[in-house]
Amino acid sequence: MDMSLLADPVFLAQNLVDGLSRGALYGVFATGFTLIFGVLDILNLAHAATFMWCAFAGWLVMAKGGLPLPAGLAAAMAAGSAIALVLEFLAFRPLRRERARADKLGSMISSIGASLIMVSVAEAVFGVQTRRFPGSVLNPKPFFIGGPGGVRISRAQILILAASIILMAVLGLFIRKTRMGKAIRAVAASRKAAMLLGIDVNSVIVITFLVGGALAGAAGILVALLTNDIVPGMGGQIELRGLAVVILGGMGSMEGAVLSGFLLGLVETFTIAYLPDGSDIKDAIAFLILFLILLLKPDGILGRGKAERV
Amino acid sequence: MSGARPTGRRAAARGPKGPWIAAFLIVAADAYLCARNPRDLDRLLINSMLALSAFATLHLRMLSLASAGFAAVGAYSSAILAAKLGWPVYLSIPAAALMCGAVALVIGLPVLRLKDVYLAICTLGFGEVVRVSIILLPDLTGGSTGANLSTGFGYETMKQTRTWALGLTLAVLCYLFWSASRSKTGRALRAIRENPEAAEAMGIDVVAGRNFAFLVSALIAGLAGAFYAHSVGSLENGDFRFSRAVDILGYAVLGGSGAWFGPVLGAGFLTALPILLRDGLGSSLGFLKDFAQLPNILSGLALMLVIILAPGGLASAFPRLPERRRTQTRGPRPEGAAPAPSPAAGPKGKVLLSLKGLGRSFGGVEALADLSFDIEEGGTYGLIGPNGAGKTTLINLVSGFIPPSYGKIEWLGREIQGRGACRVARAGIARTYQDIRLFGEMSVLENVVAGRHIRLRSSLPAAWLRLPSERREEADASEESMDLLDRLGLPGLADREAGQLSYGDRRRVEIARALALEPRLLMLDEPAAGMNERETAALGDFIVDLKRQGVALLVVEHHMDLIMEVCDEIIVLNFGRKIAQGAPPEVARDEAVLEAYLGRD
Repeated sequence: MDMSLLADPVFLAQNLVDGLSRGALYGVFATGFTLIFGVLDILNLAHAATFMWCAFAGWLVMAKGGLPLPAGLAAAMAAGSAIALVLEFLAFRPLRRERARADKLGSMISSIGASLIMVSVAEAVFGVQTRRFPGSVLNPKPFFIGGPGGVRISRAQILILAASIILMAVLGLFIRKTRMGKAIRAVAASRKAAMLLGIDVNSVIVITFLVGGALAGAAGILVALLTNDIVPGMGGQIELRGLAVVILGGMGSMEGAVLSGFLLGLVETFTIAYLPDGSDIKDAIAFLILFLILLLKPDGILGRGKAERV
Repeated sequence: MSGARPTGRRAAARGPKGPWIAAFLIVAADAYLCARNPRDLDRLLINSMLALSAFATLHLRMLSLASAGFAAVGAYSSAILAAKLGWPVYLSIPAAALMCGAVALVIGLPVLRLKDVYLAICTLGFGEVVRVSIILLPDLTGGSTGANLSTGFGYETMKQTRTWALGLTLAVLCYLFWSASRSKTGRALRAIRENPEAAEAMGIDVVAGRNFAFLVSALIAGLAGAFYAHSVGSLENGDFRFSRAVDILGYAVLGGSGAWFGPVLGAGFLTALPILLRDGLGSSLGFLKDFAQLPNILSGLALMLVIILAPGGLASAFPRLPERRRTQTRGPRPEGAAPAPSPAAGPKGKVLLSLKGLGRSFGGVEALADLSFDIEEGGTYGLIGPNGAGKTTLINLVSGFIPPSYGKIEWLGREIQGRGACRVARAGIARTYQDIRLFGEMSVLENVVAGRHIRLRSSLPAAWLRLPSERREEADASEESMDLLDRLGLPGLADREAGQLSYGDRRRVEIARALALEPRLLMLDEPAAGMNERETAALGDFIVDLKRQGVALLVVEHHMDLIMEVCDEIIVLNFGRKIAQGAPPEVARDEAVLEAYLGRD
């Protein structure tokens, strides 16, 4: 490790900015994951494939359609909701029966199947070559804090941080303050009790999928803007990280997901920056965290009992 | 005995022809492909092996996505051993499999104790780590560029014998799965598949079973991967990408995780289908010819459709053979071979179980507080109290399903609290459940034989070798289980699927299963619930019969007539506390008891 780098405040701040914007993306992606898990107690393994399709949707609107960024974001989120809705009706609802155990295994399997179909169709439609945004979309001139040579913040990073914070705030308010948010929390605590209280569980689940899909969509377009590297396989890269974040934060905990999203983003960025082979090791960090947390504290850092989730 | 009785499965009613025709078509299609292109035979055999690997875990309803990762470890290990270290190819293959086994033990350590979702996540991560490691170790593996690691070496050496070796290995594996499925181990694994909690209460070690399954899965995937390396002659990182893991899962799901031959058929189907579609339809529909994603899309579709429409897969369509029973190996049963009734039923003064200041709370709610009482050998104890008094909590504590918050449980003077249900069962404590927990898809007889698990001594290798001692033990076990069914008034139901019986019959099967364990203490949680008066009376007679044999009983029941009739002593709980204990007439007069049940003005 180059010790002199540690003392350099600009370098440190730069990595902080990069790490936070990377982490914000992990948080947005993982929140969708964990929301669906919290409410349904199942893992939607097609979440990453949804994310990938949304990145393509945003790219189509912006690069092919020439529309501005807000339109791209909206298109990606709408695509995410639509895909999640289709998944709910084709892959999850037919399996939702009384026997909870068979249910969980079955829905994981059917979502894996859906994921493989989605990725394969994307490969068939878009091919395997990387798609990029035209230069006009991404402002080539980043901002610098503290003059030239200071901390560099790209437009995409600002957008990512702003969008993630707004999304999380809106989601937090939605879950805590609205009637539907309360219903979602009730179903998460106990589907049976919620049903007995007259909550329409199926419509709560549909809303949950719409929200979760929209989050996958937002993550998709934002990651695409950050990396400018859109390929059918892009979901695989973030899927494992998303799962690590979900477990680290405690399955079903949204605050935990946001928090550990930032944590993973920072750890990865600093590993790349300060370790000689950092960028090679980076991909293994998520798994390392995953393995250690499963070994030591499987409930995650904010993990609580099921009753208190979401 | 009713060996010819229809199994009562839906498939049997439809006639068993369909699945056989499907199996025949799959085999025929594969035979046609392999005759046309011998390389497809290698692929088919390797895929079948991978299917068995996925079956090993899925059979226990464990979703492991590690098969492709283990195949990669096996492939690269074998290739490196042979190409770089100069090992003989046929030695490198089992060595690579063992390597996978070692990795599986390390990964399985933390993960398999955890719930299904965590296993899926961790094995998914494992696959990713294997992929990354291959890229990170370019000197060993050729890295991400897809450099051919092993071109030439094993491929040439094995060219003549490879397919034979593969076929032989697969045949041996099939034999091992087949003979294991008919053994004590196979039955225990099926029990874990059907209901892990109930299996645990039979003294079946569920964690060990899961570890074993994961290990077997890794070993076989490693073998398959090693064969793959030498069959293709070169390795690329992309050979083991995630979609491979999904393909492999597809074989097992399509074929069905209930019986080992299902996944082999599944592999046969999913290997042949894309090739046939491409070559058959491809000539008329030009675009299919170059549709590289076709196999993946078919795998994905197969997964979704099968799991939603026919979750049992192909295997479940085959009628199941009844449990083997070799009555002819035994002579006629001498009269009075059943345990001789001891002359004096009732407690004998020797303390079996002793609860000392036992308590349990659930998140602030005290379900059971400071409970102490003894159970003596041969005694029959009634545990009564209003709903929510803590009766079932007590049974869960004693049987080891939940640890107490405080206090001690002593069995023959030794503390057993916190030991886990499996060890409690092995000590000789059996139980039934308020909400009956049978192994629903197993036959009635198989359920009861599963209850004998801890009394059977034969090992898995003995079953593989079909040793006479193992076969005799199995025959005896089913004979004894038949006797138990007779005693409970369930003759003729032996081959029925347990889940399809009437409520009262299921209760009695559960009691038979618990008795098969030959417990010294049997805990019955509302055994008469849902029974009519006649059945309840018969149950009372049966309990009296059990008393005569010297089995200690703890009976939770709301039928007061039954409790008053059979119990030597009654313990009354209310709000988690013992409010009375004594002989039935005393308890019936007790002020506190009357108040708890009837309230006071």
